[in-house]
Amino acid sequence: MCHVSVGHVQRAFELAGIPTVGVYVRAFGHVPELMGVARALITPHPMGRPLGAPGDADRQSAVVRAALGLLESTERTIVEFPEPWRTRR
Amino acid sequence: MEDATESTEALRRSFFYGSRSNLDVKFLKDVGDDEFGDFLEELFAATSQTTDDGDADRVIDVLTRWQVHAYAGHLGDPADFPHRHDDVPLSTVGKPLRECRVALLTSSGHFVDGDDPEPLGVVDMTQEQAEARIGEFLREAPTLSAIPIDTPPAQLRVRHGGYPTASVRSDHQVALPLGHLQAMERDGVIGEFAPVAYSFVGAAAQGRVKNDVGPAWAQQLIAEHVDAVLLVPV
Repeated sequence: MCHVSVGHVQRAFELAGIPTVGVYVRAFGHVPELMGVARALITPHPMGRPLGAPGDADRQSAVVRAALGLLESTERTIVEFPEPWRTRR
Repeated sequence: MEDATESTEALRRSFFYGSRSNLDVKFLKDVGDDEFGDFLEELFAATSQTTDDGDADRVIDVLTRWQVHAYAGHLGDPADFPHRHDDVPLSTVGKPLRECRVALLTSSGHFVDGDDPEPLGVVDMTQEQAEARIGEFLREAPTLSAIPIDTPPAQLRVRHGGYPTASVRSDHQVALPLGHLQAMERDGVIGEFAPVAYSFVGAAAQGRVKNDVGPAWAQQLIAEHVDAVLLVPV
């Protein structure tokens, strides 16, 4: 339900005039698609590790940066993070 | 020791808040017995190969693919998805990101030590209690916890009954990227990281999130002059 909750929040923010982007793991990639979410980055990560593995600062930072990069979009944008999951290295 | 006559279905369900609770594989409740066998077969085969070459990503790939299959693949007709919306509310920043004040909001269940939201009226609720009472969380409106972005990691707490929290506990930036967003402010990627980040327990009453707290939180962030928000569902 977490991802659906954030989908509701994301819609409410957009309706109120606040642009948003959400980072969703692929197991819940259908949520932004079906809920009419404006901007979403879908990661191939396991549930519970949305930005990357613990200690993998490079991956976490890359995912955050990729998500922020969608904020300037003026149309609906849902994209997949292009790199596969990786354990800390 | 489980009952020797335990059925396959009971075994699957025991991972979903049962005697073998493991939130990484709680999806096993919703797969069929045949699929459960397929999952185990794949997992054991991957484990055997990993035993020889040490490539643990192979095992993680099996787990992740089955999470996707169980959650996204068992949807049925997308038209029946209960939270479906055909409209797409969309606002635009209207200026470069490097000039925007960006806020962070996650459904991770973080809060600052000393500022426990005390869900369900319980003082010092443990992670185990949160998992045991997940059904009650799903009937309540969530509380938004304010987290000053300069909070030392040692003062961060996490409690959430809906997802495997061990990863976030060992590294908060798995879901609450305070340091990464501060670095992006320093690097000029964003204009400013809004001084307060927010977290809530996403396992909550959906109607309350949709109709009450979501719109209320939006007004709160507007009052804080936020230009855009990064959301991290967990």
